[in-house]
Amino acid sequence: MSAPEPRPIAGGAATAEPTFADVNRDVLATLRPPGNLYFAWMSLVGLLLACGFLAWAYQIFYGMGAAGKRTPQMWAMYITTFVFWIGIGHAGTLISAVLYLFRARWRTSIYRAAEAMTIFAVLTAGLFPLIHAGRMWFAYFLLPYPNQRYLWPNFKSPLVWDVFAISTYLSISTVFFIVGLVPDIAALRDASTGWRRRIYAMLALGWEGSDRQWRHYRRAYGLFAALATPLVLSVHSVVSWDFAMALVPGWHSTLFAPFFVDGAIFSGFAMVLVLVLPMRHFFRLHAYIRDRHLDAMAKLILVTGLVLTYFYICELFTSWYSGDHFEKASLFWRLTGTYWWALGTMYFCNCVAPLILFWRKARTNSVILYIVSVLVLIGMWFERFNIIVPSLAHDFYPATWGIYVPTITDSTIIVGSFAWFFLLFLGFIKVMPSLSIVEVKETIPPPMKDARHAGLH
Amino acid sequence: MNRRDFFKIVATTGATAAAAGCQQATEQILPLVVPNDNLVPGVAAWFATVCRECPAGCGVLARNREGRVVKLEGNAEHPVNRGALCARGQAALQGLYHPDRVAGPHRREGEAWRAVGWDDALKLFGERLGALKGKPRALAVVSQLESGSLGALLDRWSQALGGRPRVTLEPFGYEAIRSGNQLTFGRDAVPYHAFEAAEVVLSFGADFLETWVSNVQAARGFARMHAFREGKTGTFIHVEPRQSLTASSADEWVRNAPGTEAAVALAVLRLMLEGGLTADKRYGDAVAAVDPKRVAEESGVPLETLKHVAKTFASARPGLAVGGGVAVTGSQATALQVAVNLLNAAAGNVGKTVRFGPDHAYGRVTPYAEVARLVQAMAGGEVDVLVLGAGVNPAFTLPGGLKVAEAIRKVPFVVSFSNLPDETTALAHLVLPDTHWLESWGDYAPHDGVLGLMQPTMQPIREARPMGDVLLEVGRSVLGSEEGKGPLPWSTFEQYLRAAWEPIVKGQWEAALHQGGVWRDVPPAAVTVAAKLDGVDAGPAKLEGPADGLALLAYPSLRFYDGRGATRAWLQEVPDPMTQIAWDPWVEINAQTATRLGIRQGDVVRVTSPHGAVELPAYLSPSLHPGAVAVPIGHRYAPYHVRLKYVPPAQGAGNPMALLPAGADAASGAPAFLSVRVALVKTGARRPPAVLQATHDQDHREIARHVDLTRARDDALRGTRKEHDHPSMYSEQRYRGYRWGMTVDVDACIGCQACAVACQAENNVPVVGKAEASYGRQLHWLRLERWAEGDPAHPQNLFLPMFCQHCEVAPCEPVCPVFAAYRTDEGLNGQVYNRCVGTRYCGNNCPYHVRRFNWWNYDFPAPLEIQLNPDVTVRQLGVMEKCTMCVQRIVAGKDRAREDKRAVRDGDIVTACQQTCPTQAITFGNLKDEGSTVSTQSHSPRAYHVLDELGTRPGVTYLSKVVRAHEPSPAAGKGHA
Repeated sequence: MSAPEPRPIAGGAATAEPTFADVNRDVLATLRPPGNLYFAWMSLVGLLLACGFLAWAYQIFYGMGAAGKRTPQMWAMYITTFVFWIGIGHAGTLISAVLYLFRARWRTSIYRAAEAMTIFAVLTAGLFPLIHAGRMWFAYFLLPYPNQRYLWPNFKSPLVWDVFAISTYLSISTVFFIVGLVPDIAALRDASTGWRRRIYAMLALGWEGSDRQWRHYRRAYGLFAALATPLVLSVHSVVSWDFAMALVPGWHSTLFAPFFVDGAIFSGFAMVLVLVLPMRHFFRLHAYIRDRHLDAMAKLILVTGLVLTYFYICELFTSWYSGDHFEKASLFWRLTGTYWWALGTMYFCNCVAPLILFWRKARTNSVILYIVSVLVLIGMWFERFNIIVPSLAHDFYPATWGIYVPTITDSTIIVGSFAWFFLLFLGFIKVMPSLSIVEVKETIPPPMKDARHAGLH
Repeated sequence: MNRRDFFKIVATTGATAAAAGCQQATEQILPLVVPNDNLVPGVAAWFATVCRECPAGCGVLARNREGRVVKLEGNAEHPVNRGALCARGQAALQGLYHPDRVAGPHRREGEAWRAVGWDDALKLFGERLGALKGKPRALAVVSQLESGSLGALLDRWSQALGGRPRVTLEPFGYEAIRSGNQLTFGRDAVPYHAFEAAEVVLSFGADFLETWVSNVQAARGFARMHAFREGKTGTFIHVEPRQSLTASSADEWVRNAPGTEAAVALAVLRLMLEGGLTADKRYGDAVAAVDPKRVAEESGVPLETLKHVAKTFASARPGLAVGGGVAVTGSQATALQVAVNLLNAAAGNVGKTVRFGPDHAYGRVTPYAEVARLVQAMAGGEVDVLVLGAGVNPAFTLPGGLKVAEAIRKVPFVVSFSNLPDETTALAHLVLPDTHWLESWGDYAPHDGVLGLMQPTMQPIREARPMGDVLLEVGRSVLGSEEGKGPLPWSTFEQYLRAAWEPIVKGQWEAALHQGGVWRDVPPAAVTVAAKLDGVDAGPAKLEGPADGLALLAYPSLRFYDGRGATRAWLQEVPDPMTQIAWDPWVEINAQTATRLGIRQGDVVRVTSPHGAVELPAYLSPSLHPGAVAVPIGHRYAPYHVRLKYVPPAQGAGNPMALLPAGADAASGAPAFLSVRVALVKTGARRPPAVLQATHDQDHREIARHVDLTRARDDALRGTRKEHDHPSMYSEQRYRGYRWGMTVDVDACIGCQACAVACQAENNVPVVGKAEASYGRQLHWLRLERWAEGDPAHPQNLFLPMFCQHCEVAPCEPVCPVFAAYRTDEGLNGQVYNRCVGTRYCGNNCPYHVRRFNWWNYDFPAPLEIQLNPDVTVRQLGVMEKCTMCVQRIVAGKDRAREDKRAVRDGDIVTACQQTCPTQAITFGNLKDEGSTVSTQSHSPRAYHVLDELGTRPGVTYLSKVVRAHEPSPAAGKGHA
């Protein structure tokens, strides 16, 4: 790339408004050939991913017994992590579509990263139904494909709903993502040479920046935002019905859809912070990702965290108030049985840790925010674990109660899924602009030869 | 001889021209270029024979498919078992197809075994026998209880070669019953106990629902006497320090201090006499010295309970007292039997429920004291050649104090006919594998009058020769005589058998083969009580060992008997119904005693007696007498030496016989099983046993239900039944043809596990091993649960066979994304293995957790794969499976009915579990047929559905256990520790 040496306006000059030229330069600077630190991270992530794939291959060859599942926990860490990643995949669309429709301007500097995160999270989550299936080579049975035997999937099964919900979500958010990228890729194309230029040229779809194109672009963007908005609510509601539709005490609850959606937004924002804070630090993007952005996200985490706490209380209350013997026994056991520590971790991470964000300074302190975000991610993983494993451990039939113990194979696959996500994300930030050039420019005054003239516009 | 000929000979309708036996047959693969008329692929041939897994001698029908036996079922015509079979009988196939079966003769060289040819082996055997000439009594023959022709031939052979009288070795030989009967009635016999005819059964430690004498017969009789039917039921009182499986079925389990059974029996008799409950005053002398108060003190059984027992027993018309299970047999064994006899005599039961005449074959067992003398002779170098028949394993089954292994090592030449390696063949010099009983000709008479006939049901799976053939051939070569001449003229054992049976069958040989034997009425023998009866010693049994030690109750395992069943992986994996432990042996310790000693469940404990020590993991029981520990006999080694992954052999063994003294009960010559106190020491190691049931506490979920007798009688009269009503927005399912359903009578179920093993045999259910089983991955389609109600120290146990409930509103079906789980229009929950993706959602959503997942690809080590039922799919890794209500039998039954142009009737279709149930607790049938048994029972006032509040509408209905409300029995027995 022939971009000039970057002149970061970040750091000490964080209050200075960047110009359009600054934006172009700074964003394109993120695509410069990476340094050793980047390669070190990529190697680590690649190694973990390779271990994950080896473990998966082992499990496919020898059988699901390699994962620690048993009667009664026919589901365990795979579904836990699946739901976790689906939840992560939520924040992206929320930021890009819902906040777009609400004209929340602070979204501009983070939405690209959040959208990428969404797609990668859904791509990660999408692996789990395959990893989880006893005969993954027949997983295509879940698709309604035409066949000689007139066999269709069972549309009563929430797992089939999942297939539709997730594939819809993935396709809409991918299209939305690509549409948003087009003007930026055009900028990339203009700034690059050689084979890169040819590839970017293809991806830019002949973008010239004409008025007509801009008008169409705006229409399309708004339309997709409107399309994507209901999906924010629907995907995780459908995933929650995997549990709510079942009989298992601790699952069978109408609370689950809003409960899951809120939890998803909560964890999604935490993941955005986990990704964006290092980006801001390493790429020195302080001028674009400003403290007020962090503050807004921290507030959202705080609010969704409080709502989640309310749902937890509801869950406890309805279990107790239902008078249902099985529900009460299940709840009591979750609180006092073998997995009490997992429940405790969840309550601490999701209900207590975010409370620090009531303090204004914490909301703009990168270190505190980062720690809280990581805790929230841990807490939300355990939330799903607590729904699945302890509920199944102590359900209707006392003769088969039992304790699930993870194995090396399933743990390695879980770690591998994180590696897969980070591999995708790390790759992305080096080939595509991780800040939206177009939208960041919208928030700053357009360049004018005469500064005063600009002010009059 | 080829396969075609074989079938011509042995098919039940078959020809008579058996020329050469089948010993020369080698294994052949199946393809038949020219089809055999008698062998229709896909159609089973059934052969009648006699089960030889224990001396009970039940009749068996072997189902032969394409030349190989795939399933055993009880012979419905056989008087002993009438179609039922126990878990051990069901698992006999695993002995037949055992991967470790010895193929051909083997000779030991140092520690290694070398295969030798039959000619060389027989030559060697002949030489060693020939060298005995002029040394009388240097040959000893030991066999299991052979009450028929083989026994007679062995006697003749041994006599012809100048050997000692044959020793019939049965570790559980009931010598004390015989000596007790000799003393009381002047008849050395084990009589027939007619449980079915009794109103009240009073048992002193006799585990007649597990192993005692003839357990299937007793269980059948017990069910007829005790199971609740239209308001009628009997009463069963059991006295034993441990709550055994048999005790669990008792209406009143009386926990006494170990060794006080005789005293309790005499006290009951005395109270009967004192209370004027019996008109017969002749027995006063015998119990003159008995003081019920002192007995109550010593035994820990309250006087009130004793009085109550006496009253209940005396009121019966008739009653039946039985006594002397292995676990309570000690120095007081004969005294207890005499006391039991007197009880029966005083209550007028002799001749009614205690029937001499059809005496049991146990009467021919060599008393242990004589066995011990033979062992001493061996140790003294008096025996030069020892011949061990199949089924005997003295190095394992005889008390450690006898030092049998050392004695056998002193014998210069030991020949074993065992076809599986065991502790005794390890000491042999030559192994000449006998054919398995399913491959053999033979006969066995469990009672006088019941002559069971055995025929080969298939060709030998491994190179083997019938013991009789080998002995005839070797005997002739040693004696230098020719075939047809001399004392051993028969060419084969089969010929001998036919000759012996000719006077019995009088030309009706095929009919006898077809029926499985010949049954004759035996006139009852009148017995009278000896005129002069001395006072019976009512003292407690004498126990060796430290005064503060715990009495050792060594009892025969329901699953392994004396260890013969331990090689069967099915029996290893099906848990002991009381403890729910699979695979490992254990030592049962009272929970309070364990707390005192600092022992937790799963701690490895060193159990030391004056005669030896064994290390076993602890199992804590709240109900065992605090002064006792209990160890099951029969846990030997891991099933297959070739595959150690199931459980390491060192962990699978723990033989309480090693703790027992050589000495015998003086009066009877019986081994003294209850004769030592043991000390427990923690070794520090831990080896938690695989307990397959998470808890015995129902947590008020009413999974296994009970009603009290008054209520049940009341309901039976009124015929009311209350049912949960579950309104639904969906229309009711319509069944155009049949609707299959089952009922399980919890009141009749005794928890014997026969159904679980039958299911495993029928449905190709793999074995998973200890680690997997204890981690909730066992694959049993049918599991037998024990639920304990009430005081944990004195619980009311309810046994519940649990399998797929075939719900009408099945939670498993809507959640399956691919319709692998679906509802058939005949009321089954189908499972399409080919369609299953393995999401396991159904497994989560099934509230009963009866769906099983194939976590791995399970294998059936060769040749066990031959046993697989060709009518049932062997499931692949990654699919769900569960009970199908034996859909293959349903299809076959419907086909048969269609051929007869009629609808399916009761009895056309019998599931594997139902077929084998000794108490007929399980019923299958068409729920749409108002007249079918299953319909009637489903509408019984006792009918309920497990977890019916969930609205699953199961197709399986359970009938509540009827609890006989007795006078409150105070938690028995402080006892003496």
